[in-house]
Amino acid sequence: MKLLPLTGLLVCLLSAGAPGAPDAPPPPKPGARAVEFNRDVRPILSEACFACHGPDPKSRKAKLRLDTPEGAYALRKDLVAIKPGKPGESEAWARITARDAGSVMPPPEHRHQLSVAQKETLRLWIEQGAKYQQHWSFEAISKPAVPKARVNPIDAFVLARLQKEELKPSAEADRETLIRRAAFALTGLPPTLKQLDEYLEDKEPGAYERMIDRYLASQHFGEEMARHWLDVARYADTHGLHLDNERLMWKYRDWVVKAFNDNLTFDKFATWQLAGDLLPEPTNDQLAATGFNRCNVTTGEGGSLELEWLYRNAVDRTSTATQAFLGLTAGCAVCHDHKFDPISQREYYSLYSFFYSSADPPLDANISTTGPFVKLPTPAQKAKLDSAALAELGARTKLRNAAIVTDYTDPTTREPIEPVTVRDVLFDDVFPPGAADRNTSRNAAEWVTDPAFGAKSGRRVLRQANTFFHQDTISFPAPPPAALAKGAFEVWAYADPKQPPRAVTVQLGNGKRVWWGAEPDATSPYASGNLGTRLGALPKPGEWTKLSATMAELGLKEGQLIASLTLQEYGGVVNWDAAALTGEANPATDPRMSFRVWWKGLNGKAPVGLFAGLVAVAEGGPATPHSAADAAQLQTEYLAYYARPATEPLKVLRERWDTARAEHAIAADSIPGTMVFKDLAVPRDSFVMIRGQYDKKGEKVMPGVPAVLPPLRVEPGKRPTRLDLAKWIVSDENPLTARVAVNRLWQQFFGTGLVKTSDDFGTQGALPSHPELLDYLASEYRANWDTKKLVRLIVTSDAFKRDARQAPADRARDLDNRLLSRGPRFRLDAEQLRDNALAVSGLLNPHMGGRGVNVYQPPNIWEPIGYGDSNTRYYLQDHGEALYRRSLYVFIKRTAPAPFLTNFDGPNREQLCAVRERTNTPLQALQLMNDVQYFEAARVLAERVLADGGKTTDDRITFLYRTALGRKPDADELRIVAAALAKQQKLFVADPEGAKKVARAGEAKTKGVAPDAEVAAWTMIANLVLNLDEAVTRN
Amino acid sequence: MNSLSRRQFFGTSGLSLGGAALALLARPALAKPQAAVHPALPGFPHHAPKAKAVIYLHTNGGPSQLDTFDYKPKLVDRFNEELPDSVRNGQRITTMTSGQTRFPVAPSMFKFKQHGKCGTWISELLPHTAQFADDIALVKTVHTNAINHDPACTFVMTGSETPGKPSIGSWLSYGLGSVSNDLPAFVVLTPFWSSGTAAQALFSRMWASGFLPSKYSGVALRSVGDPVLYVKNPDGVAEANRRAMLDTLGELNKKTHDKYDDPETLTRIAQYEMAFRMQSSVPDLTDLSKEPAKTLEMYGPDVKKPGSFAASTLLARRMIERGVRAVQILHRGWDQHGNLPADIRSQCKDTDQPTGALLADLKQKGLLDSTLVVWGGEFGRTVYSQGTLTKTNYGRDHHPRNFCMWLAGGGIKGGQVYGETDDYSYNVTENPAHVNDINATVLHLMGIDHTKFTYKFQGLDQRLTGVEEQKVIKELLR
Repeated sequence: MKLLPLTGLLVCLLSAGAPGAPDAPPPPKPGARAVEFNRDVRPILSEACFACHGPDPKSRKAKLRLDTPEGAYALRKDLVAIKPGKPGESEAWARITARDAGSVMPPPEHRHQLSVAQKETLRLWIEQGAKYQQHWSFEAISKPAVPKARVNPIDAFVLARLQKEELKPSAEADRETLIRRAAFALTGLPPTLKQLDEYLEDKEPGAYERMIDRYLASQHFGEEMARHWLDVARYADTHGLHLDNERLMWKYRDWVVKAFNDNLTFDKFATWQLAGDLLPEPTNDQLAATGFNRCNVTTGEGGSLELEWLYRNAVDRTSTATQAFLGLTAGCAVCHDHKFDPISQREYYSLYSFFYSSADPPLDANISTTGPFVKLPTPAQKAKLDSAALAELGARTKLRNAAIVTDYTDPTTREPIEPVTVRDVLFDDVFPPGAADRNTSRNAAEWVTDPAFGAKSGRRVLRQANTFFHQDTISFPAPPPAALAKGAFEVWAYADPKQPPRAVTVQLGNGKRVWWGAEPDATSPYASGNLGTRLGALPKPGEWTKLSATMAELGLKEGQLIASLTLQEYGGVVNWDAAALTGEANPATDPRMSFRVWWKGLNGKAPVGLFAGLVAVAEGGPATPHSAADAAQLQTEYLAYYARPATEPLKVLRERWDTARAEHAIAADSIPGTMVFKDLAVPRDSFVMIRGQYDKKGEKVMPGVPAVLPPLRVEPGKRPTRLDLAKWIVSDENPLTARVAVNRLWQQFFGTGLVKTSDDFGTQGALPSHPELLDYLASEYRANWDTKKLVRLIVTSDAFKRDARQAPADRARDLDNRLLSRGPRFRLDAEQLRDNALAVSGLLNPHMGGRGVNVYQPPNIWEPIGYGDSNTRYYLQDHGEALYRRSLYVFIKRTAPAPFLTNFDGPNREQLCAVRERTNTPLQALQLMNDVQYFEAARVLAERVLADGGKTTDDRITFLYRTALGRKPDADELRIVAAALAKQQKLFVADPEGAKKVARAGEAKTKGVAPDAEVAAWTMIANLVLNLDEAVTRN
Repeated sequence: MNSLSRRQFFGTSGLSLGGAALALLARPALAKPQAAVHPALPGFPHHAPKAKAVIYLHTNGGPSQLDTFDYKPKLVDRFNEELPDSVRNGQRITTMTSGQTRFPVAPSMFKFKQHGKCGTWISELLPHTAQFADDIALVKTVHTNAINHDPACTFVMTGSETPGKPSIGSWLSYGLGSVSNDLPAFVVLTPFWSSGTAAQALFSRMWASGFLPSKYSGVALRSVGDPVLYVKNPDGVAEANRRAMLDTLGELNKKTHDKYDDPETLTRIAQYEMAFRMQSSVPDLTDLSKEPAKTLEMYGPDVKKPGSFAASTLLARRMIERGVRAVQILHRGWDQHGNLPADIRSQCKDTDQPTGALLADLKQKGLLDSTLVVWGGEFGRTVYSQGTLTKTNYGRDHHPRNFCMWLAGGGIKGGQVYGETDDYSYNVTENPAHVNDINATVLHLMGIDHTKFTYKFQGLDQRLTGVEEQKVIKELLR
């Protein structure tokens, strides 16, 4: 036989595993069966042939491609690879069945060899005409007919399939199981006793639907839905690379929650995230939504090359958007044409070109507000800000008007001059106009307004918080203040009682540093440092204390300029307020009392904030000729804004202006901002990057979409925008978006998607287990993109409501429950586990939204890995109510996520995660038994049982079971748990010290409901119940 | 075999846990598992392994090859000369030094000597390591794609610059499992360091499982707090309390299993028992008090300080003895842009004696033949000085083109130097070794063919050694 000169197949990395086969309906037994390309043949070709005979021309061997009929049927050197209907005349068949190692395909060294059954399938396929089909997910979605009219069409499809398999589904689960399943599925929380009773007592038809509707209306619905989407969006609270500093974009997270609660339709949900900035007059929500495209990891590493990171950021955004909405792993085409999916490298860079003109800098500068960063005020906040701004302007004008009419005689012209005692405030609620703060967090100074412990003066205090070290340096504008005669510095400090620092320090300008605090020991963070002169012990935590230092102690001489104030804290949290210089001033020589002295002392530099018309006058100094009017005007400015208030009215008005400035700052700071996505005014040219290298430009490309999908509709000649892309993604013609979205929801509720590979709808992905059902749901969803409606349809299906129990023989026929013959049963997600413990113990704080909170975390999770200079190197745990917030709001540091997340398969959010693993490990067991946040919950739950659970042990166990598991214990369980309790009671009675500790686990206040041994014993029982397989599982 | 079924190993590995077996599990004295806790993948290893375990000493920040292993005697005469353009050849450099007006050659101020029968040149900074020159295969020509820390660290540990891929230890744990039923298969230590420089960051992705199931992530063995997270009972809970709780837990979970017949429930029962065993096996592991004084002395005085590199290396040996598959020690502080001589001295003081001791200890215990030890950072450093150059002080910027790593033990042909660089240690002149060639070689020694070791993710058969063709460096093998 004459053989084509095919070269050996490259044993290619990209060759496939077993694509989808287990999820596909089992192929008909060989014989006279009908072979279907997508179901039966493509997986085989994809696995064994496409790597060398597929879409990628670069790795194509012998110029033969088998992924298209044109390639396969072509006559080449008198031979045809595949001749429809004629296996015997098909060269491919000859090679597949060849005996000698030099001819056989795939070559013997290829990882994927064809089985006898696979060969037979290929033979049948050729024999039956070798018909190709487009990959299923690229075909238009058509709405399949529902097999039998039933209440829920989902069940019609599922049952049709089960009937075909002759498999009887489980009955409906009992009500206790159903409500717990629904509550976790829809809110991520267990049912409360009240919810449980309400449902159990509702005996009317439609009780289940009413229960579902209550959960759909709950604000917790949006939280649970958001949690899944945020895995896809890769949302986190740090930049992710190198320093991994904090970033502020939690408004994006909160928007996602709101979008689900508002039931924003999915087309808008997608469009706003991809291109909200391009909508006409975008709303706050539409802007916040664009955070999706800013969620990628970024770096600020010194020495990084901008071009490289511009490229990388765009690649991440392109790949994420493509995968999130289209389910395509386009990332492969970064380096070469896709080997399996029909996405060429050029097409990839056409998609990339939508994202390449982003306005954010390639490097994040390690700040939390990497631009574009916008403030998103509510209308009320905006009104308040505007009025505060107006009030400040008014106060400023009044002050100036008063200065105009002030009768001022320059003290240099008066005799005699007596020194006066003065107190100059350096900062109280705001820094002086023109002052700048620089601190070790690299972010804005942290002001706290109206702290719970009360400000010392005014409304705001300056907070410093770091378990290692924090420093603020406030630089004063020229001309800076000077050290006074008999001068001193004073400041009020409030050390946090929960986390007091070890030491605090003060330094003025280039003077000497002074400090208050504990003498350093080996464990002090400043053990090896020299903090300067120690002036005393640390102020008593929980009280405002005035710290004072003389100018001599601060190493400053009278008249020496003080360009800055540096405040430091070591190892905790301190708040500062009312910093001031005190001493005696000589009016004749003091620039803040004598206009002439001040003017002269400017030394040719206009003071910060002076209005432009007077700059030349100020710079010229008194010696330069000037008009009397100009001098008078400068004097007015001086008296109003730069001098120590010369008269009582000026003093009052200055104070009012300071207050108005503070109120303005408070109004501005109370408005949260977030990182948003925007384009440059002029788009950057984008190019195919050869082999995915950031500095190897190839052909220039324009924004566009892959040819295998429907065309992008834009006006001819117009450069397509991200908005066009978004519209195309949610267009009726797009075959992927609705399928991918529906499948992800299905996965959320059933544990596995109809397409198991929810992150890959390409040819390497799995085939849908129920293709018609998927298309039906997709077409329904696409009709109005109503997410709550779709969710309701899913959770009210019999398929969702089935009992997870099943006869072993049936179970054996549906091991992975791909046929949906029983109810879904799987372990709760990381966040659900923690939220469950908080909820059943009653600790849960349902407050929604805001900056990420730092809950319990063992020591040394961040510290051993963080860059020295990172502002997320040292973990500072929150206290009080913040400890009990829902897990959705826990601060996510990407390079060291919290163990309660990672231990239970929570992703680190460095990249898109469409499906979480569900592992089952001893480390999880250790955490659920011993982690303080779970053990504290057990203790508080035990107190609840003792307080509210009735008097008898049986009553209490029943209460515990109903609270934690949503059901009553059976007699056997009552007996077992009661025996366990007796054992623990005995142990703790014998160990009062141990009992005392257990009864006080965690920071939550003890309720004193029972003796320690009793609380401790019940704590172990609650700990037992919270660790039950049933408790950690959605049953 | 997919991850789901592997996860349920009790249900699918042929072991059926009936009531009797469960009863066994529930009783501590008999709670020996009947199946491996960390089973290998079917078909693994691919071939007879030379090494059963690996200890990977990662010197983070980019140790200077010029001051440790890449001896360049001719440079002494070129002190402060400009690095010739013909050598630099327009190669990219970081923006930390791309603005420098000069690129003055900075010869190492440290003396080098030949060591062992093989005569490998090693710097005076590493006298203890040098004693094992005949065991060490030094690779002078490792090169990487990345020029900054974050991507380079990610690259050297996961074979890719982009986050999201599994670390080499996770791959090993996934493929080979481990024989220890009481300890994790892959353990990570992050000792403290002494150089004054603000050390570069580590990233949990350097030991995380990426797209592999998270149970293959490295488990941190910690010197502060619990040695393994949550291994200690809460304050006030005695072992008796825990045992009693677990007995009931097993009993109730068995009822749940009877009800649902879910193999996950059986796995969970087993995992709680393993957790209980870890509560004693981990303290036993970290208790160094029974180590002979002579051994402790060998590792140096730091061995008594929890969290030191010395203590970490000794713990590594103890773990290898107990069947842990992969131990990774990540020592920070090697990023010497300035003040290199003083800082590298203190870094070597942290690590050299313990490294030598580790090799000696493994040898005396007969473990070196089956334990692969790998040493190296994420890139090298430039021959030209960053900042001011004097005879006794200089700094060096990042240099990805060539740097040194060494391998010893399990299957390595010691006493050799692989690859050569030019007179400036700026370019490879023969036998380049890509980071992923090293990774391929490590896998090979552990019995794995890196081309066949794949995991399907996002439609691709992903592998540690990436998309480019990589090679096992045969010359390094015994």
